[in-house]
Amino acid sequence: MTVRRVAITGLGVVAPLGNSSQELFANLIAGRSGVQHLAGPEARGLRSPIGAPVTFDGSAHFPAPRLRMLDRVSQLALVAAGQAIVDARIDLPVERRERCGVFVGCSIGGAGTTDEGYHTLYAERSDRIQPYSVLNAMTSAPASWIGIDHGLSGPILTYSTACSSSAVALGEAARRIMFGDADIMLAGGAETPLVYGVLRAWEAMRTVAAEDPQNPSASCRPFARTRTGLVLGEGAAFAVLEEWDHAVARGAPIHGELSGYGLTSDVAHITRPTPTGQANAMQAALDSAGLEKGDVDYINAHGTGTLQNDAVETAAIKSVFGERAYAIPVSSTKSMHGHLLGAAGALEFVIAVMCLKCAAVPPTMHLDSPDPACDLDYVAGRARDGMAVRTVMSNSFAFGGTNAVLIVKAFDAR
Amino acid sequence: MSTLDTLMDILVRDYGVAREQVTSEATLATLGLDSLSLLELMFKIEDCYGVKIADDTPTDLVTVNDVVRYIDGLVARKAELRPAGAPDVPTGT
Repeated sequence: MTVRRVAITGLGVVAPLGNSSQELFANLIAGRSGVQHLAGPEARGLRSPIGAPVTFDGSAHFPAPRLRMLDRVSQLALVAAGQAIVDARIDLPVERRERCGVFVGCSIGGAGTTDEGYHTLYAERSDRIQPYSVLNAMTSAPASWIGIDHGLSGPILTYSTACSSSAVALGEAARRIMFGDADIMLAGGAETPLVYGVLRAWEAMRTVAAEDPQNPSASCRPFARTRTGLVLGEGAAFAVLEEWDHAVARGAPIHGELSGYGLTSDVAHITRPTPTGQANAMQAALDSAGLEKGDVDYINAHGTGTLQNDAVETAAIKSVFGERAYAIPVSSTKSMHGHLLGAAGALEFVIAVMCLKCAAVPPTMHLDSPDPACDLDYVAGRARDGMAVRTVMSNSFAFGGTNAVLIVKAFDAR
Repeated sequence: MSTLDTLMDILVRDYGVAREQVTSEATLATLGLDSLSLLELMFKIEDCYGVKIADDTPTDLVTVNDVVRYIDGLVARKAELRPAGAPDVPTGT
């Protein structure tokens, strides 16, 4: 069976540091951080009230009656997906829309709606739950709304594999195209964890970074000796994936090719990652792309900033790439945009594609003092440009042990 | 303010309905309100009129006038139960 190529023809982002892929990438290259002190009610009483919020007002995008039916997570998803469609310059109504689908990664769904409902029940001791609560909170709502709004009647699925959810959504969407089940897939992720109940739950796990009292924006320090954990962020990121010949035939802007996808599981521990599981996913991605270790120009690391992840990921990269690992720039952009959980893989996929388009790689910020166990080239403190960026690997690993690795390649007409 | 005027304000403000569309005969469906919207509207009516709507909200409210009559019925029953001299004003929306 011929495996069809997958073109990336549209990108859309609503994220900390920018509500477009261009604005986001420019801020990342400049080393700016979207992490900030949270002063709102969502952070009351937190030991470390920090997060990476999105500047977004739903009422600017949706009329009031519609807004009541959309949790913030669906609002962000719809806007980011809409951007990707515009960017792809695709006229969906003329496409065979039963051959177009939507795959979304989302870990916690409409967290704001859930939080508000429980507050109504338990704090206000009222039974007046909003009638739309179930529809707003369900994890599959973003995918369903995107399909409904754009009339995409092919497969619509939601993947929930914690922090690798949207990388899985992108990889699985690519496979639908590769093996002939669909021609166009809108794939990405959305997450809005900056609500009181979720922030409290994450704090209880002791994985959230301590707030830097002098500079809250520098609280997330992946690969640093002084790292103390991750910082939660919110946002949505989407891509239009398209069968290569279809994209070429309609003269679409081709930003790159999704050429590799590796998916493995740790089956070890619910939180503790394994170098073997991660390495297997990276190798599987290389194999599926038909690439050699020497072909990878940059790795966008999972790089959460937790003690466990960064050292294990470093070991996994070294086990796959051997000595070459030291020559590959590896950076964690989570140092700037925080950890978007189910949307993280999609956001970092968009960043990977932007690296191809701009021939530059963003830095790992706040890495003044590397952990001895983290001894790769992490592009510390300053972006790198003027380099050949033809192939980028994007790592996403998750609680529960689902490892997803995507590989994007620069446009190649071959 | 009449019950129709109050209801019209709620429909315009919270449901994005054009004021000129809100007539007594207009059906809730043509105004874009589905069954869940109607349930939500009942919460707003409870707040506005200080009444308590039973769990078995009537399902035969089809037109704006049906809702107006339903509200007026609730308010009348409340008045029957109210002690003499107690105020009878909406509590705000």
